[in-house]
Amino acid sequence: MIPIIIDGVVQGLQFSLLAVGITLIYGLGGVLNLAHGQFAVIGGVTAALLIGGGMNVILACVLGVLASGLFGLIVDRSLLLPAYRYKGEERLLLGLILTLGLSFVVDGYLNYRVPDAALTVQLPYPSVTVAGITIRTASVATSVLAILAFLMLGAFLKGTLLGKAVRSIIQNEVGAELCGISATRTRTLIVCLSAILAGVGGVAQGVFSSLGSELGVELTIFALIVAVVGGVRSISGTLVAGILLGIVNAVASFYIGTYLTLIILLAAAMLTILVRPSGMLAYWT
Amino acid sequence: MLREISLEVQSGEAVGVIGPNGSGKTTLFKAIAGMLRPKSGKILFDGLRLDGLHTPDVARRGVVYVPAERELFPQMTVLENLELGAYANPRDRDDQFRFVFSLFPRLAERKRQLAESMSGGEQQMLAIARGVMAKPKVLLLDEPSTGLAPLLVAEMYRQLSQLKAQGLTILLAEQQVPHALAFCERTYVLENGWIKLSGRSSDLLGDPAIKRSYLGVG
Repeated sequence: MIPIIIDGVVQGLQFSLLAVGITLIYGLGGVLNLAHGQFAVIGGVTAALLIGGGMNVILACVLGVLASGLFGLIVDRSLLLPAYRYKGEERLLLGLILTLGLSFVVDGYLNYRVPDAALTVQLPYPSVTVAGITIRTASVATSVLAILAFLMLGAFLKGTLLGKAVRSIIQNEVGAELCGISATRTRTLIVCLSAILAGVGGVAQGVFSSLGSELGVELTIFALIVAVVGGVRSISGTLVAGILLGIVNAVASFYIGTYLTLIILLAAAMLTILVRPSGMLAYWT
Repeated sequence: MLREISLEVQSGEAVGVIGPNGSGKTTLFKAIAGMLRPKSGKILFDGLRLDGLHTPDVARRGVVYVPAERELFPQMTVLENLELGAYANPRDRDDQFRFVFSLFPRLAERKRQLAESMSGGEQQMLAIARGVMAKPKVLLLDEPSTGLAPLLVAEMYRQLSQLKAQGLTILLAEQQVPHALAFCERTYVLENGWIKLSGRSSDLLGDPAIKRSYLGVG
């Protein structure tokens, strides 16, 4: 049981990394990014191809993460421009359609060019044993990376002027613009940053499973559920929700199968919307 | 709706805009701040055109709008709200902090408090203070007395007088006409989008039409 829970936590942290990006892009840009899983997969596939080509593993992973960021930057400055011309619900709808289309295009292309990309990482110590429990080194490494990414995001949002500007736009866009803060430029930065976080998740995912074309959709769905349960405006809520749902996912997949697990997770999201529409931790943060 | 209006504010001057609800005061301010685009005409500041600029760029040029709705960041502390006010020129931030806290000592006492947890009067002070943090060349104050008790309004105008004494240029929209006329050297009277009257505030005080419609005497 305990190894399954640990697996769940490891996986949940990756979900949180994607979910927090969905949360930020939604809070700041008013767009619900349905191609977020694909942002992640692009990072993983890039890293896999570079490692396959003989590049140093760490360098390849860094470049993979940056590829996700670059992709996010390009999407924000091109595909999403028509959506940004509108406000509120119209922007949300147009954004949904545009990013859903993008996810099909990316999946189709990856399926055609790199149908079976996989990250093969040889670590000097494949596993470590702590208190009688054996954990894969890769699990430890990806979890540490995810937690570090979260801490850095928190420090950026709470401790830097730019991070405060990001929060100010989420809270009151008119007020932010009156202070001389450009919502457009900050939004581009956040889409890029969220894509980088997704890239970290994608590279980490690639260490454990193959990067097939169905992974993108799967990651998007998990991340959306985590974002809803955690509260689309709360970052610490997203982290906690990711870990909890990761555990539920791992335990339920092991005992009752993946199909029913997805139903359980979606039910959790529905229940959250009914009981606490603004997320689990909405009143704490 | 505003039609064919022409206004002028000299450096260091406090100019008032008075008129009933819906006369176009807020429309005028939003046009200057870049939140609404005029269909025709020009808005000039220091010889450069402001019309056509986006709101953040107008603010960066030193024309700072403090709307009646305040538009604060509710879940941020007083300190963070002020810090963001100085977003465009962080170099002068420490000086501006000192100045703002000497002007509004109550904000210094409450600097760790969330903006949403403060009273209406304190929120209004914070909105003005956030505008001042930008070290503006012109401050556009839209109905700063909205929702404040009379005693607080008097206190706020004493604080605004200190700002004026520092040489800040102020354009003020106000429904509480006696306050506006006492505070501003010159005043424009707006009605249905037209400038009906304008002149020195002291002359307007004696104008029979103003007395009748706005001061409730005569």
